[in-house]
Amino acid sequence: MSTTVTLQSKVGVFAGAALLRLVLFAAFPSLPDLLTGRVEISTPVTSFKRLQEGLFLYNHNVSPYDGGVFHQAPLLLPLFSLLPDVKTWPIFTALLYILVDLLSAYALLVIADSGEAGQSKHFTSPRRAKRSSGLLVAAAFLFNPYTIASCIGRSTSAFTNCAILFAIAKALSGSPFNSMVAISFASYLSMYPILLLPPLVLLAYDRQSDKRRIDSAVQFSLRAILIAATCISLLLAMSFALTGNSWDFLARTYGIQLTLSDLTPTVGLWWYFFIEIFDSFRAFFLAVFWLHLVIYVGGLSIRLRTQPLAVLTILLGIFAVFKPYPSISDTSLFLAMLALYRHLYPIMRYTYVASATMLYATFLGPAFYHLWIYAGSGNANFFYAITLVWSLGQSLFVSDLTFAVLRDEWEVERPDMVGKEIRQI
Amino acid sequence: MPRLLSTALSLRRDPRLLKIPPYVSALCIAIGVVWLLLLPLDNYSRRTYVSENALLPGQVHTYFGGSEQHIFRAFRHEVDLLASKNNYEVNDKLETILTGFGVKVGRQNYTYHSAGETYSGENVYGILQAPRGDATEAIVLVAAWKSIDEQLNRNGVALVLTLARYFKRWSLWSKDIILLLPPDSKTGTQAWVDAYHDAHDSEYIAPLPLKSGALQGALAIDYPHEERYHELHIIYDGTNGQLPNLDLINSIVNIAGGQMGIETTVQQMTGHTDSYHDRLQTMLRGMLYQGLGYPTGPHSSFIPYHVDAVTLQPTGQGWHDEMAMGRVVEGSFRSLNNLLEHLHQSFFFYLLMQKNRFVSIGTYLPSAMLLAANFTIMAIFLWVKSGQPIETGASDESKERKLLSPLALVATCHAISAIPLFVFNHLDIKTLPLAFGIFSTLSTALPAVFSLAVASLHKPTLQYFQLTKSFSLLILGVSLATLSTLNFSLAFLVGLLASPLTFLQPTNTQATRWVFVALLILTSPPAVISTAAYASGLTMSDVLKAASFGWNVWGMYTPVVIWCVWWPAWLIGATNTLIPAFQM
Repeated sequence: MSTTVTLQSKVGVFAGAALLRLVLFAAFPSLPDLLTGRVEISTPVTSFKRLQEGLFLYNHNVSPYDGGVFHQAPLLLPLFSLLPDVKTWPIFTALLYILVDLLSAYALLVIADSGEAGQSKHFTSPRRAKRSSGLLVAAAFLFNPYTIASCIGRSTSAFTNCAILFAIAKALSGSPFNSMVAISFASYLSMYPILLLPPLVLLAYDRQSDKRRIDSAVQFSLRAILIAATCISLLLAMSFALTGNSWDFLARTYGIQLTLSDLTPTVGLWWYFFIEIFDSFRAFFLAVFWLHLVIYVGGLSIRLRTQPLAVLTILLGIFAVFKPYPSISDTSLFLAMLALYRHLYPIMRYTYVASATMLYATFLGPAFYHLWIYAGSGNANFFYAITLVWSLGQSLFVSDLTFAVLRDEWEVERPDMVGKEIRQI
Repeated sequence: MPRLLSTALSLRRDPRLLKIPPYVSALCIAIGVVWLLLLPLDNYSRRTYVSENALLPGQVHTYFGGSEQHIFRAFRHEVDLLASKNNYEVNDKLETILTGFGVKVGRQNYTYHSAGETYSGENVYGILQAPRGDATEAIVLVAAWKSIDEQLNRNGVALVLTLARYFKRWSLWSKDIILLLPPDSKTGTQAWVDAYHDAHDSEYIAPLPLKSGALQGALAIDYPHEERYHELHIIYDGTNGQLPNLDLINSIVNIAGGQMGIETTVQQMTGHTDSYHDRLQTMLRGMLYQGLGYPTGPHSSFIPYHVDAVTLQPTGQGWHDEMAMGRVVEGSFRSLNNLLEHLHQSFFFYLLMQKNRFVSIGTYLPSAMLLAANFTIMAIFLWVKSGQPIETGASDESKERKLLSPLALVATCHAISAIPLFVFNHLDIKTLPLAFGIFSTLSTALPAVFSLAVASLHKPTLQYFQLTKSFSLLILGVSLATLSTLNFSLAFLVGLLASPLTFLQPTNTQATRWVFVALLILTSPPAVISTAAYASGLTMSDVLKAASFGWNVWGMYTPVVIWCVWWPAWLIGATNTLIPAFQM
C-alpha cells in the first residue's frame, strides 16, 4: 500500500514539475527569451543565447569560438544541432531542459533516500531520525523558483548540475566508476566541478559495494583519479577533433573562466572587482581569487572526513558564491543539497535571516539592474551592492550549515553539552 | 571585555527583549511619517542648482519675436480653420505646412484597445535636420492637437509651426529637431515613442517611416489658454512616477524666470508663498501623482525611455504673450542643443516643493524605507517568537515550526491576487463598475471564508498565526523596499495604508475583534480606492477606466502593486484576525 502511494506521489511530483515548466514554456512564448537575457540566469559561460551564436557558426562550418561570445564546451554543439531549430520548434529544446531537471531531481531522490546526510560510514548523527523524505527534497528542488527560472532561461549549467548530482548519487549507490565518469562530464562542461573530486572520491570510497571492494584508500583514489583523468582526456580529445583539430577551445572556454576576460555582470563578486582593478594587479588578484576558491577543498575534506556529503554540500555553496561566473542555477543546486540536512535545521541559527536576505536580494537585484541599464537613473554600483547582499545571504547559509554540522559532531563527543549555549572565545 | 560580552549574551535570553520589537515597529512608522513632514523645512531641503555645465541656461540671446508674431497669427488662423476637421484632414494640412518649410514629414497610424474601447489616431511629425549635426541625436518639440484638458491646443500647435519655420533658418543646431504633432495628449506620443524605439506592438501600431538619432530631450507645449498669461506651469511627472532629470526643470525655471521674467510653478501651485504649508502641499501633490504613476501630459511617455521631458503650460492672468513662450522654448532648445552627453549630472529622484527647492533621494528615502522596515522587523520578531516554547524554561531546545500550512495560506493568497489584476484590466467599461462591486463584496467576505477553512482544516495554533503573519509581512516589507527605489511615493502610500497590518492580531475579546474588523474594512484596498474616488469627485467607472487605460496603453504598474502586493497582505491580515479563538 505505502509503496504504491509513494510511487504515485513521486510520479505526481515529477509530472507536476514537468507540466508546470511546459505550461510556462507554452503559455508565455516570450518568457524563455526574456529570462535568457537576464544576467542573474545567463552568465557568459552558460548563456543559451551565446550557445545559439556558437551553434550558428558551427553549423556554417566556422569555428564557433571565432565570434568571441561563445565560451562553452564544444560537445554541447553537436548535441544542440541534433535538435530542430529552436526558433521554429522551441518545444524540443524545452523538453530537453525539462528532462535534465527531472533527472537531477531523480538523482537528488536517490541521494536523499540513501540517508547519507544523517548517517555516514564513520559518523551517525543523533538527530538523524528527523530526516526529510527523498520526495520532499526532490520537490523542493523542482519547485524552487530559481530552478524553474534557470530551466526556462535554458542556462546550460542545468547539464553541469545534473552531472554533479549524478556523480554524487552514483558514488552513494556504490558505483565509483559511474560517479567518476559523471564528475568528468561536469568538469568538462564547467571546469569548477573538478574541485569536488577529493570529497567525491572519499564518499565513493566509504560507500563501496562489498563485491568489488578495494581496502587501500590510496589505491582506490589512484584508480578513481585515473578513471576521471582518462574520461576527461577522452572528452577533450573529442572536442579537439570536433573543433577542426585545434586546441583553441581550451583557451576560449576554460581560459575565459581562469582569466575572467569577459566582464559581463553576474550575481557573483568577480566582475565588478576586475572591472575596477588596475591592470598591473590583475594577474595577482586572479591568482588570489582562484586560490581562495581552491583552498576550501583540502581543509573541508580533512576536517569533515567523516561526512563527505556535507563537504560536497558546503563546497557547492562556496562555489555558488565565489566562482567566477555564478548564477542562480548554482544557488538552486546548493539549496537542493541543503534540503538534505533537515535534521540539522534546529541547530542552524540564521536560516530566517539568511532566507530574508536572499529574498530581499531577489527582489532588489532586478529592480537595481533596471535602474542601471534601462531607466538610466542608477549605475553599476547599485547592482553590485545587491550582488554583495545576495552573496552575504548565501554565505550565511554556508557558514550556518558548517556550524550545524560541526556542532552535531561535537555533541556526539560531548553529550553533556547537548542543548547548551556555546560561546565563541 | 569578556564580562561585557557575557552580559550582552545573557541579555539575549532576557524575556523583556522580546517585548521591544512591536514598539520599534510603531516607532519606525512614526519616524517615517514625521521625517516626511520635516522635509519642507529649510534645513532638510535644498535650493536647486544647474549641475550640467554644458546647459548654460539663459546665456544666449533669443531672437524669436518681432515679425514672427505675424506668422504666428497666420498659423493660428490656419489652425482655427482646421478646428472642425478630422484627424486625417488636419494631418494633411499640417504635412503641407511642414513640407513647405523643407522639413521631412512622416505619419504614423495607431490603435489602442482598453476596457472595450478603441483609441485610434494618426501622428504627424517632421524632422528638421541639423545643419551642424550628423543625425545621431535629436530633441523633440511636441504639441498635441488636443490639450491635456481635451481642448483644441490652438496656440500650442501654431507656436510649434512658427518655431519650426524659425528654427529652420538658423544654422546653429547640432541636434536634429523633431516636431511631433499627435492628435491627442494621451495616446499619440506613447505610440510614437514606442515606435521610435522599436518597442511597439506592430499589430496595432505602425512603424515610423522616418527616424533620427537618440532622443536627448523633449518639450511639450500645452497652450489652449487664450488670454495673456502670468506664469508657466511645468508638468514633469512621467509614467510610473519616473521623473526627468532635475537639470531640465532647473534650466527652464532659469530661462523663464531669469531671462524672460516669467514666473514658473509646479504641481498647479499658483501663488506659491514659499511657506511651510505651501511647500508641503506641493510635495504631497507631487507624491500623489508620482504614486498613482498616471501620466500627466504628452511628455510622460518619453520618460520611461530615458528621454528627459516636460510639458509647459501657460496659466493665470498676466501680461506675457505667445512670443515670450516661444522665446522660452527657443532658449531651452539652445540649452539642450549645447549638451555634449545625455543629461545625467543632476538628480533623477527628487521631490520638488517649490520651483527652486527640492529634496533628493538620500534625504527622503529613509522615510519609505522605515515604513518597509517596520514590516520586516515585525516579521523577524514573529519568527523568533514562533520558535519559542510557550511556558518559559520548560525546555531549552526551541520548538519546531510547522511551516507547510502557513506557507500554503500565504501562497494561496498571493496566487489568487492574479484574478483581480486580470479582471480589472481586461473587462470592458460597461461591466467594470459591477465587477468592482462584486469584487469588493467578495474581498470582504473572503477572510471570513478563509478563516473558517483554516479553522476546520486544522486546529490553528498561536504558532500558525505567527508564521502566517511573519511570511506575509516579510513579503510585504521586501516588496515595498524594492518599490521604494523605483517609485518612492507609491511605496510610501501603500506602506502607510498597510501599516495597521503590523499590529492586528487574533484576540479572544469580542469587542476588540470588532474594532479590528472595522479598521480592516476601512483600510482594505477596495474601500480605500472607493473613498479616494469619492473624495476626488470621480465616479468609480472613471477610475477603473483610467486604471485599465494606464495598464493597457502606458504600461503602468500601479495595479500590480495594489492587487498583488497590498491586497494579499491585507487578505492574510484579515484572515488572521478573524481566526476563531485558538488555544494559547
